[in-house]
Amino acid sequence: MSTWLNRQRALADFTLAAMGRRRIKNAALVMVYALVVFLLASAMFFAASLRHEMHQVLAEAPELTVQRLIMGRQDLIDAAAAERIGAIRGVSQARPRLWGYYYDRISGANYTVMVPDDPDLMPPPGEVMIGEGIPRARGFTWDGAPLFLSRHLGDLQRFNVARTFGTDSALMSADLILMTEADFRAFFGIPEGLFTDVVARVRNPNELGKIVEKAAIANPDLRFVTRDDIERTYQKLFDWREGLMAALAGAAVLAFVIFAAEKASGLSAEESREIGILKAIGWDTRDVIAMKLWEGGLVSFGAFLIGTIAAYAHVFVFKGALFAPVLRGWAVIYPDFTLTPQIDGLQILTLGLLTTLPYVAATVVPIWRRASADPDAVMR
Amino acid sequence: MITLSAVTKLYNEGRPNEVQALRGIDLTLAPGALSVLKGPSGSGKSTLLSIVACMARPTSGRVTLNGETVSGLPERFQTELRRTTFGFIFQRFNLIRGLSVLENVILPAAPTGEPRARVIERAMERLAALDLTPRALTPVEHLSGGEAQRAAIARALINDPPILIADEPTANLDTALTERFLDILRAERAAGRTLIVTSHDPRIWGAEGVDAVIELRDGRITHEITGGVA
Repeated sequence: MSTWLNRQRALADFTLAAMGRRRIKNAALVMVYALVVFLLASAMFFAASLRHEMHQVLAEAPELTVQRLIMGRQDLIDAAAAERIGAIRGVSQARPRLWGYYYDRISGANYTVMVPDDPDLMPPPGEVMIGEGIPRARGFTWDGAPLFLSRHLGDLQRFNVARTFGTDSALMSADLILMTEADFRAFFGIPEGLFTDVVARVRNPNELGKIVEKAAIANPDLRFVTRDDIERTYQKLFDWREGLMAALAGAAVLAFVIFAAEKASGLSAEESREIGILKAIGWDTRDVIAMKLWEGGLVSFGAFLIGTIAAYAHVFVFKGALFAPVLRGWAVIYPDFTLTPQIDGLQILTLGLLTTLPYVAATVVPIWRRASADPDAVMR
Repeated sequence: MITLSAVTKLYNEGRPNEVQALRGIDLTLAPGALSVLKGPSGSGKSTLLSIVACMARPTSGRVTLNGETVSGLPERFQTELRRTTFGFIFQRFNLIRGLSVLENVILPAAPTGEPRARVIERAMERLAALDLTPRALTPVEHLSGGEAQRAAIARALINDPPILIADEPTANLDTALTERFLDILRAERAAGRTLIVTSHDPRIWGAEGVDAVIELRDGRITHEITGGVA
């Protein structure tokens, strides 16, 4: 074992010394390679963390959302529907919700307007609680500036801001406006007794499928959306965005592998001569390949390490500044939030294999052809 | 004891540019002797040396080392022989540029798995014996011709091989450096090493201590003197 270790150490020492001769070239190679890893790792870290945030948020969400459909479009639902849903066997609680969107012509942003369930989040009449993105979108210059909302030309509704949410909940609340039920109905003109939708909780989540099946038959005008449906939709959205980034980074990886293969197959006369010398003085084909594996390993592992650490800093310290717009969606209000690092071993292993193996293979295979020739033939 | 029986070597066999470098060589090289292969350029000296040293395979014929056939051995065993049995001093020294003298000298020991400290200690002893200690950390491209040759000798001897092979070792050396090289050869011969040298330099094949001179021309042995030349 120690002989094997000594041999590996000697080969690694030679590799390092040999690489040291072309410092700038090798450093440039590592940097280009690290950039490719950085792109790929950033996309993976960002998407994984968004998925984690989504799971966290949806874990608290009710299992079932019920909407009323008319001609395939969502319509307001009456309070009686909430009672009907609550009466379904297996449903523990059903309550109607009031929420909607408000398009702000001034900032060009869409706000989500809601009547909160939580009494702690209920503002006094005539006042609102707002997400941190709204003062930014509106350009509020001082604390306590009132929020004016206009539904049409000539209309102006004033709301005092009771509270502005912090950035810790920004992923969910950046564009949120909370107001009382009376203010909501007055602002949007929603008659008493009508609601946006109904949310329900079930006693045993394992029975959800059956409950939805029965409820849908009994209420053909209602649409039942489960938490899993919502999660799947988000998942698809994130996967699509991650896929977009991964495809771009994948193209970069491919370009890099072609570059590496080109570099390795076009061995310089000097490198060929060196392989000949090494074989002549007693290096085996395996030794030459092991040396090249060390070289490929050092370059790719170094690039992997630099790229991964830079991606970690990019995503979790600098909030994915470079491609957050692509990954978190297109909007006027970008939530100002810090992602929680979510990295697992499998993710790192996948990234490592995706980035190091193609390079090592691309550099070792052409060397193998050269190194397996007779030393006399290599030297001539 | 190295013996060659009916050894031939063809390059580019079957092609229009086919060259017959060796034609039916029968030769015995005694152990512990200093043997010189002489002859003009293209006579087949270097090819013969390559075949003896397991760097190339004969097209036909057989090479034995101490009674064992080595010419048909698989690559792995030939490499083992090159590493443990033969030390090489190449015509242009073939040191690896950009590396220091010491790094070059320890290269043949890298695949052996011997502890690095011990290899370096032995390398420094070799360099000291060849007056190269002050140049140990110098990149080889900064060495003079004589220093480069001594570095190549140190590298050839690092695994303590019983047979030392030198291809045209004095082609680029002046008289003083040639004498210095001959002294080293004689010292190694006295230490019991078998030495095989190719040269068309009369200062080598006519030198004191040469045990055998084999003359080649057009791939054939034309003259052979054994049992002490000078």
